[in-house]
Amino acid sequence: MPNKFGLSTFVLTSPFTNDDLHLMGKVKEMGFEVIEICIEDPAKLSSVKIASATREHGLDTSICGAFGPNRDVSHEDEKVRNLGIHYLNTCVDFAAEVGSAYVSGPMYSATGKARLLSPGERKEQFNWAADSLNRVAQYAQKRNVGLAIEPLNRFETDLINTVEQGVELCRAIDLPNVGLLVDTFHMHIEEKSLSNAIANAAPYIFHVQVSENDRGTPGKGQVHWDDFFATLSKIHYGGQIVIESFLPTVKEIARAVSAWRSVAPSMDALAIDGLEFIRGMAVKYLDVK
Amino acid sequence: MLKYAYNMLVYGTEPIEMGIARLSKFKYDFAEIVGEPEKITAAQYNQVLKKYNMPVSSIVSIYTPDRDLVSSNPSIRANTIKYIKGNVDFAVEVGAKIVTLTPTACMKIKPEVDLEQEWAWAVQGAREAAQYALNSGVRLALEPWNRYESYLLNRLDQSIRMVDEIDHPGIGVMADTFHMSIEDKDIPGAIRSAGKRLAHVHFADSNRAAPGEGFLDFTPIVEAIRDVDYQGVCSFELLPAAGDVWGVLEGGKAPEFLDPYTESSIQYMKNIEKNLGLIDAK
Repeated sequence: MPNKFGLSTFVLTSPFTNDDLHLMGKVKEMGFEVIEICIEDPAKLSSVKIASATREHGLDTSICGAFGPNRDVSHEDEKVRNLGIHYLNTCVDFAAEVGSAYVSGPMYSATGKARLLSPGERKEQFNWAADSLNRVAQYAQKRNVGLAIEPLNRFETDLINTVEQGVELCRAIDLPNVGLLVDTFHMHIEEKSLSNAIANAAPYIFHVQVSENDRGTPGKGQVHWDDFFATLSKIHYGGQIVIESFLPTVKEIARAVSAWRSVAPSMDALAIDGLEFIRGMAVKYLDVK
Repeated sequence: MLKYAYNMLVYGTEPIEMGIARLSKFKYDFAEIVGEPEKITAAQYNQVLKKYNMPVSSIVSIYTPDRDLVSSNPSIRANTIKYIKGNVDFAVEVGAKIVTLTPTACMKIKPEVDLEQEWAWAVQGAREAAQYALNSGVRLALEPWNRYESYLLNRLDQSIRMVDEIDHPGIGVMADTFHMSIEDKDIPGAIRSAGKRLAHVHFADSNRAAPGEGFLDFTPIVEAIRDVDYQGVCSFELLPAAGDVWGVLEGGKAPEFLDPYTESSIQYMKNIEKNLGLIDAK
């Protein structure tokens, strides 16, 4: 099946709510086939309304999470871990109800926690993440949803920075519906080689986000795009490819995103020019006409 | 032919003699040292530097929350200018020609007042410090940091704009390839646009490890440095893969940054220079 191209709601508005569903028309018009909806505030989104809007506009849906301090499945306080699990289960419900195959995102911790942990503390945090995500994944299995876990760069988390560390977490969770989301922005900071990182994690690559090294328009910076797409071809990646960037107004994870200046002429230009570039790469390397 | 230094910041808390001996062993041209003259004095450095016949290229300033040139608190702004001037004095005492300057506290990522006011404070403070540096035969190097470490200057073009506005021979721009790997679209192009303003260079790969450990293609970077006729020193500023860099360093938990990267960094860059015909291929 050919890959489908998507746009993250973080490029459009934040938080994305029921009042913003009309933006799907714009996303479709730009040429995207998928809208990736970030569940920043679940109370302001209805899965019924999302499903109806995506049907109307002929878009597929991808659900991702935003992990603020009270959605932390590896927190030392069990109450906070349970809040994180509850939030993720809510995201799983959204995914099941709107037809998203996965819930994706850096779900193992609160984004922006980049402390220095001793090896013992880190192991403890890792184990809490694995235990909590195992519980979420079991629930997700019942709803026929997968989890796509996203490694983040060193400034946004202290737990999972590289794809290899992501695989380690997947193995610890040890359920078949658990894999990874890889994002070129983070990989450009943390990996030594895009091709090795992806090829070594091939069975776990569930979902893909693309972003330039400065979070600007894909194709206008330093990311090694040919290497990246050639490797997606090599592992026969047939999933969605979603353009992600952030409006400077993102609240839930503002400290982590640190997007305080514009990286493209406009967010619309980033989406349109980025899609043209990504489609070109996909035609060159993937099963896309 | 480039001249090389290694930033001893990453050596953490080990005795300075171990670091300087290491730089001597791997044939560095210069040491780059941390600007905390109240913790380790010029006299302490000079004693060891003399023993190993190792000159110092540059002083790396450390911008803690009370060293913030654009703080809304005037006494912090004044303290910052005092700190930079102190590092200029320290540079003179150890024979260094460059002091680094970033106008915000490290890891502060939001302005306290409006950006125009902060920009104006940065220009004003940097100009005063630049005059002091010029009088001492030292130059300040204005360094942009990536988005997670600062918000005021992230890209080289922003630093160029500020240096042009400061308009003083005592200050130029500084290029650090790690920050530029996150923030700039084209590193060699940015270096070329800096031209004569280029006052100092930090090398690190895209993951802040030694050149060769990440994605960066250093060949066009070296060509750009050559093309702007840069006469200064290129220093390796390598740091561990952690948001909490200071904690890692204080724990001394980064052994690959000692001998292994000190050796491989200079070898890797000299090979590039050989391939470009900038030094004899032996």
